Amino acid sequence: MMMTDRNDDILEDIFAQARTVAPTPSDDLIARVMAGATVPQSAAARPTPRRSLGQQVLDLLGGWTAVSGLVTATCAGVWIGVSPPESVQDYTATYFGDEISVSLFNEDAIFAAGDFFDG
Amino acid sequence: MNAMPDLFAGAPDEALLIAFANGDAQAAQALTERLLPRVLAQATRMLAIQAEAEEVAQEAMIRLWKQAPDWRQGEAQVSTWLYRVVSNLCTDILRKRRGGVSLDQIAEPTDSAPSVVQQMQTNARMQALSDALAALPERQAQAVSLRHLEGLSNPEIAEIMDTNVRSVESLTARGKRALAAIMAGRKAELGYDDD
Repeated sequence: MMMTDRNDDILEDIFAQARTVAPTPSDDLIARVMAGATVPQSAAARPTPRRSLGQQVLDLLGGWTAVSGLVTATCAGVWIGVSPPESVQDYTATYFGDEISVSLFNEDAIFAAGDFFDG
Repeated sequence: MNAMPDLFAGAPDEALLIAFANGDAQAAQALTERLLPRVLAQATRMLAIQAEAEEVAQEAMIRLWKQAPDWRQGEAQVSTWLYRVVSNLCTDILRKRRGGVSLDQIAEPTDSAPSVVQQMQTNARMQALSDALAALPERQAQAVSLRHLEGLSNPEIAEIMDTNVRSVESLTARGKRALAAIMAGRKAELGYDDD
Protein backbone atom coordinates (compact mmCIF):
# COMPACT_ATOMS: atom_id res chain seq x y z
CA MET A 1 0.00 0.00 0.00
CA MET A 2 2.83 2.36 0.98
CA MET A 3 4.69 1.50 -2.23
CA THR A 4 1.58 2.21 -4.34
CA ASP A 5 1.23 5.61 -2.68
CA ARG A 6 4.89 6.34 -3.38
CA ASN A 7 4.46 5.39 -7.05
CA ASP A 8 1.38 7.60 -7.27
CA ASP A 9 3.35 10.48 -5.75
CA ILE A 10 6.11 10.03 -8.35
CA LEU A 11 3.56 10.04 -11.13
CA GLU A 12 1.83 13.13 -9.73
CA ASP A 13 5.21 14.86 -9.53
CA ILE A 14 5.97 14.04 -13.16
CA PHE A 15 2.49 15.19 -14.20
CA ALA A 16 3.07 18.48 -12.38
CA GLN A 17 6.40 18.99 -14.15
CA ALA A 18 4.81 18.18 -17.51
CA ARG A 19 2.08 20.77 -16.94
CA THR A 20 4.73 23.49 -16.65
CA VAL A 21 6.03 22.68 -20.15
CA ALA A 22 4.99 25.66 -22.26
CA PRO A 23 7.25 26.08 -25.27
CA THR A 24 7.11 29.29 -27.29
CA PRO A 25 6.40 28.63 -30.97
CA SER A 26 9.46 29.45 -33.06
CA ASP A 27 9.26 32.06 -35.81
CA ASP A 28 9.84 29.26 -38.31
CA LEU A 29 6.86 27.29 -37.02
CA ILE A 30 4.64 30.38 -37.09
CA ALA A 31 5.74 31.08 -40.67
CA ARG A 32 4.92 27.50 -41.71
CA VAL A 33 1.49 27.70 -40.08
CA MET A 34 0.72 31.05 -41.69
CA ALA A 35 1.92 29.80 -45.07
CA GLY A 36 -0.85 27.24 -44.91
CA ALA A 37 -3.48 29.85 -44.02
CA THR A 38 -4.82 30.38 -47.51
CA VAL A 39 -8.57 30.57 -47.54
CA PRO A 40 -9.88 27.32 -49.01
CA GLN A 41 -13.23 27.20 -50.73
CA SER A 42 -16.06 25.30 -49.16
CA ALA A 43 -17.67 22.43 -50.97
CA ALA A 44 -20.76 24.59 -51.54
CA ALA A 45 -18.81 27.53 -52.97
CA ARG A 46 -16.59 25.50 -55.30
CA PRO A 47 -17.49 26.37 -58.93
CA THR A 48 -18.81 23.53 -61.01
CA PRO A 49 -16.98 22.92 -64.32
CA ARG A 50 -18.44 24.80 -67.33
CA ARG A 51 -20.68 22.67 -69.55
CA SER A 52 -21.45 23.17 -73.24
CA LEU A 53 -24.91 24.26 -74.42
CA GLY A 54 -25.55 20.82 -75.95
CA GLN A 55 -24.60 19.16 -72.69
CA GLN A 56 -26.89 21.50 -70.74
CA VAL A 57 -29.83 20.73 -73.10
CA LEU A 58 -29.08 17.04 -72.71
CA ASP A 59 -29.11 17.42 -68.93
CA LEU A 60 -32.41 19.33 -69.15
CA LEU A 61 -34.03 16.46 -71.05
CA GLY A 62 -32.78 13.90 -68.59
CA GLY A 63 -29.55 12.61 -70.16
CA TRP A 64 -28.80 10.15 -72.95
CA THR A 65 -31.20 7.49 -71.70
CA ALA A 66 -34.19 9.79 -71.80
CA VAL A 67 -33.18 11.31 -75.14
CA SER A 68 -32.82 7.91 -76.85
CA GLY A 69 -36.39 7.02 -75.78
CA LEU A 70 -37.60 10.40 -77.01
CA VAL A 71 -35.98 9.90 -80.43
CA THR A 72 -37.47 6.40 -80.80
CA ALA A 73 -40.95 7.67 -79.93
CA THR A 74 -40.62 10.57 -82.39
CA CYS A 75 -39.51 8.29 -85.24
CA ALA A 76 -42.36 5.90 -84.52
CA GLY A 77 -44.87 8.81 -84.52
CA VAL A 78 -43.60 10.14 -87.84
CA TRP A 79 -43.71 6.67 -89.44
CA ILE A 80 -47.26 6.03 -88.23
CA GLY A 81 -48.26 9.40 -89.67
CA VAL A 82 -46.69 8.70 -93.08
CA SER A 83 -47.82 5.13 -93.42
CA PRO A 84 -50.51 4.30 -90.88
CA PRO A 85 -51.09 0.59 -90.35
CA GLU A 86 -54.54 -0.71 -91.13
CA SER A 87 -55.35 -1.35 -87.50
CA VAL A 88 -54.66 2.30 -86.72
CA GLN A 89 -56.89 3.44 -89.56
CA ASP A 90 -59.71 1.21 -88.26
CA TYR A 91 -59.19 2.56 -84.83
CA THR A 92 -59.30 6.19 -85.88
CA ALA A 93 -62.35 5.51 -87.99
CA THR A 94 -64.10 3.91 -85.05
CA TYR A 95 -63.03 6.63 -82.70
CA PHE A 96 -63.53 9.70 -84.84
CA GLY A 97 -66.06 8.31 -87.34
CA ASP A 98 -65.72 7.76 -91.10
CA GLU A 99 -63.92 10.30 -93.23
CA ILE A 100 -66.32 12.43 -95.15
CA SER A 101 -65.89 15.30 -97.59
CA VAL A 102 -67.92 18.41 -97.22
CA SER A 103 -68.03 21.04 -99.90
CA LEU A 104 -68.62 24.45 -98.50
CA PHE A 105 -69.54 25.96 -101.81
CA ASN A 106 -72.20 25.15 -104.32
CA GLU A 107 -70.43 24.16 -107.57
CA ASP A 108 -72.98 26.04 -109.70
CA ALA A 109 -72.36 29.18 -107.77
CA ILE A 110 -68.59 28.85 -108.28
CA PHE A 111 -69.02 28.44 -112.02
CA ALA A 112 -71.41 31.37 -112.05
CA ALA A 113 -68.85 33.49 -110.30
CA GLY A 114 -66.31 32.48 -113.00
CA ASP A 115 -68.61 33.70 -115.68
CA PHE A 116 -69.02 36.93 -113.79
CA PHE A 117 -65.24 37.57 -113.67
CA ASP A 118 -64.68 36.48 -117.24
CA GLY A 119 -67.27 38.97 -118.31
CA MET B 1 5.89 36.47 -32.86
CA ASN B 2 5.08 40.03 -33.83
CA ALA B 3 1.96 40.72 -31.87
CA MET B 4 -1.00 41.96 -33.86
CA PRO B 5 -2.85 45.07 -32.79
CA ASP B 6 -5.67 43.69 -30.71
CA LEU B 7 -8.36 44.05 -33.38
CA PHE B 8 -9.99 40.81 -32.35
CA ALA B 9 -9.79 41.13 -28.58
CA GLY B 10 -12.74 39.45 -26.95
CA ALA B 11 -13.93 37.81 -30.16
CA PRO B 12 -14.51 34.08 -29.75
CA ASP B 13 -12.25 31.68 -31.66
CA GLU B 14 -15.19 30.64 -33.79
CA ALA B 15 -15.84 34.21 -34.94
CA LEU B 16 -12.20 34.54 -35.96
CA LEU B 17 -12.34 31.27 -37.84
CA ILE B 18 -15.41 32.43 -39.76
CA ALA B 19 -13.71 35.76 -40.51
CA PHE B 20 -10.73 33.81 -41.87
CA ALA B 21 -13.04 31.67 -44.00
CA ASN B 22 -14.45 34.90 -45.41
CA GLY B 23 -10.98 35.97 -46.50
CA ASP B 24 -9.67 37.92 -43.49
CA ALA B 25 -5.96 37.01 -43.28
CA GLN B 26 -5.53 39.01 -40.07
CA ALA B 27 -8.01 36.68 -38.39
CA ALA B 28 -5.71 33.77 -39.24
CA GLN B 29 -2.78 35.56 -37.67
CA ALA B 30 -4.79 36.34 -34.57
CA LEU B 31 -5.90 32.70 -34.31
CA THR B 32 -2.31 31.53 -34.71
CA GLU B 33 -1.16 33.80 -31.90
CA ARG B 34 -4.00 32.63 -29.73
CA LEU B 35 -4.05 28.89 -30.42
CA LEU B 36 -0.60 27.77 -31.60
CA PRO B 37 1.14 28.06 -28.19
CA ARG B 38 -1.53 25.86 -26.57
CA VAL B 39 -1.49 23.36 -29.43
CA LEU B 40 2.30 23.15 -29.31
CA ALA B 41 2.27 22.75 -25.53
CA GLN B 42 -0.22 19.87 -25.68
CA ALA B 43 1.86 18.11 -28.34
CA THR B 44 5.12 18.67 -26.45
CA ARG B 45 3.69 17.29 -23.20
CA MET B 46 2.58 14.12 -24.93
CA LEU B 47 5.57 13.62 -27.22
CA ALA B 48 8.51 15.26 -25.36
CA ILE B 49 10.34 15.65 -28.67
CA GLN B 50 10.36 19.17 -30.02
CA ALA B 51 10.54 18.31 -33.73
CA GLU B 52 7.62 15.88 -33.49
CA ALA B 53 5.58 18.31 -31.40
CA GLU B 54 6.13 21.08 -33.95
CA GLU B 55 5.11 18.75 -36.75
CA VAL B 56 1.88 17.92 -34.94
CA ALA B 57 1.17 21.57 -34.11
CA GLN B 58 1.65 22.61 -37.72
CA GLU B 59 -0.53 19.80 -39.02
CA ALA B 60 -3.31 20.59 -36.53
CA MET B 61 -3.36 24.27 -37.52
CA ILE B 62 -3.34 23.45 -41.24
CA ARG B 63 -6.31 21.15 -40.67
CA LEU B 64 -8.08 23.99 -38.89
CA TRP B 65 -7.55 26.28 -41.89
CA LYS B 66 -8.94 23.62 -44.19
CA GLN B 67 -11.94 23.08 -41.94
CA ALA B 68 -12.75 26.80 -41.71
CA PRO B 69 -15.12 27.15 -44.73
CA ASP B 70 -17.16 24.14 -43.62
CA TRP B 71 -17.12 24.95 -39.89
CA ARG B 72 -20.52 24.27 -38.35
CA GLN B 73 -21.31 27.14 -36.05
CA GLY B 74 -22.32 26.29 -32.52
CA GLU B 75 -21.64 22.59 -32.90
CA ALA B 76 -18.23 22.38 -31.24
CA GLN B 77 -15.74 24.80 -29.78
CA VAL B 78 -12.58 25.41 -31.76
CA SER B 79 -10.50 24.52 -28.69
CA THR B 80 -12.33 21.21 -28.25
CA TRP B 81 -11.82 20.39 -31.91
CA LEU B 82 -8.10 21.16 -31.66
CA TYR B 83 -7.63 19.11 -28.47
CA ARG B 84 -9.12 16.15 -30.35
CA VAL B 85 -6.98 16.63 -33.46
CA VAL B 86 -3.74 17.09 -31.51
CA SER B 87 -4.55 14.14 -29.26
CA ASN B 88 -5.18 11.88 -32.25
CA LEU B 89 -2.07 13.05 -34.11
CA CYS B 90 0.06 12.46 -31.00
CA THR B 91 -1.24 8.95 -30.42
CA ASP B 92 -0.50 8.17 -34.08
CA ILE B 93 3.13 9.18 -33.48
CA LEU B 94 3.33 7.35 -30.13
CA ARG B 95 2.10 4.19 -31.84
CA LYS B 96 4.86 4.41 -34.46
CA ARG B 97 7.44 5.28 -31.85
CA ARG B 98 7.12 2.12 -29.77
CA GLY B 99 10.50 0.95 -31.15
CA GLY B 100 12.30 3.55 -29.02
CA VAL B 101 13.71 7.07 -29.22
CA SER B 102 17.31 8.17 -29.53
CA LEU B 103 18.58 10.59 -26.89
CA ASP B 104 19.60 13.29 -29.37
CA GLN B 105 15.95 13.71 -30.36
CA ILE B 106 15.00 14.80 -26.87
CA ALA B 107 14.34 18.52 -26.52
CA GLU B 108 17.35 20.64 -25.65
CA PRO B 109 17.38 22.52 -22.33
CA THR B 110 16.11 26.08 -22.59
CA ASP B 111 18.11 29.13 -21.47
CA SER B 112 15.88 29.71 -18.49
CA ALA B 113 16.69 26.26 -17.06
CA PRO B 114 17.80 26.39 -13.41
CA SER B 115 20.73 24.13 -14.19
CA VAL B 116 21.77 21.87 -17.01
CA VAL B 117 21.73 18.75 -14.82
CA GLN B 118 18.31 19.53 -13.46
CA GLN B 119 16.99 20.29 -16.94
CA MET B 120 18.41 17.03 -18.26
CA GLN B 121 16.63 15.17 -15.50
CA THR B 122 13.37 16.93 -16.30
CA ASN B 123 13.79 16.09 -19.96
CA ALA B 124 14.46 12.46 -19.10
CA ARG B 125 11.29 12.38 -17.00
CA MET B 126 9.23 13.95 -19.77
CA GLN B 127 10.62 11.44 -22.21
CA ALA B 128 9.90 8.57 -19.82
CA LEU B 129 6.33 9.84 -19.41
CA SER B 130 5.86 10.04 -23.17
CA ASP B 131 7.27 6.53 -23.64
CA ALA B 132 4.94 5.24 -20.93
CA LEU B 133 1.98 6.90 -22.69
CA ALA B 134 3.06 5.11 -25.88
CA ALA B 135 2.84 1.80 -24.04
CA LEU B 136 -0.79 2.42 -23.02
CA PRO B 137 -3.85 1.62 -25.11
CA GLU B 138 -4.50 4.75 -27.19
CA ARG B 139 -7.81 5.75 -25.57
CA GLN B 140 -6.26 5.45 -22.10
CA ALA B 141 -3.26 7.55 -23.20
CA GLN B 142 -5.58 10.24 -24.57
CA ALA B 143 -7.78 10.32 -21.49
CA VAL B 144 -4.84 10.44 -19.06
CA SER B 145 -3.01 13.17 -20.97
CA LEU B 146 -6.12 15.33 -21.31
CA ARG B 147 -6.93 14.92 -17.61
CA HIS B 148 -3.50 15.10 -16.00
CA LEU B 149 -1.35 17.03 -18.50
CA GLU B 150 -3.96 19.46 -19.86
CA GLY B 151 -5.98 19.66 -16.64
CA LEU B 152 -9.35 19.29 -18.36
CA SER B 153 -12.52 18.17 -16.61
CA ASN B 154 -14.09 14.78 -17.29
CA PRO B 155 -17.10 16.28 -19.16
CA GLU B 156 -14.70 18.24 -21.39
CA ILE B 157 -12.68 15.10 -22.07
CA ALA B 158 -15.87 13.18 -22.80
CA GLU B 159 -16.79 15.74 -25.46
CA ILE B 160 -13.29 15.70 -26.99
CA MET B 161 -13.20 11.91 -27.08
CA ASP B 162 -16.83 11.62 -28.14
CA THR B 163 -17.79 9.39 -25.24
CA ASN B 164 -19.48 9.66 -21.84
CA VAL B 165 -18.11 10.77 -18.48
CA ARG B 166 -18.28 7.30 -16.95
CA SER B 167 -16.12 5.93 -19.75
CA VAL B 168 -13.62 8.76 -19.26
CA GLU B 169 -13.39 8.00 -15.54
CA SER B 170 -12.69 4.36 -16.30
CA LEU B 171 -10.10 5.12 -19.01
CA THR B 172 -8.34 7.65 -16.80
CA ALA B 173 -8.22 5.37 -13.76
CA ARG B 174 -6.90 2.37 -15.68
CA GLY B 175 -4.44 4.50 -17.63
CA LYS B 176 -3.09 6.17 -14.53
CA ARG B 177 -2.61 2.84 -12.75
CA ALA B 178 -0.70 1.45 -15.72
CA LEU B 179 1.43 4.60 -15.98
CA ALA B 180 2.30 4.49 -12.28
CA ALA B 181 3.45 0.88 -12.65
CA ILE B 182 5.61 1.70 -15.68
CA MET B 183 7.16 4.78 -14.09
CA ALA B 184 7.82 2.89 -10.84
CA GLY B 185 10.10 0.60 -12.79
CA ARG B 186 12.20 3.58 -13.86
CA LYS B 187 12.16 5.66 -10.70
CA ALA B 188 15.85 5.17 -9.90
CA GLU B 189 17.03 6.34 -13.32
CA LEU B 190 14.62 9.29 -13.12
CA GLY B 191 16.11 10.47 -9.82
CA TYR B 192 13.40 9.25 -7.47
CA ASP B 193 15.48 7.42 -4.90
CA ASP B 194 13.52 5.50 -2.32
CA ASP B 195 13.74 7.23 1.02
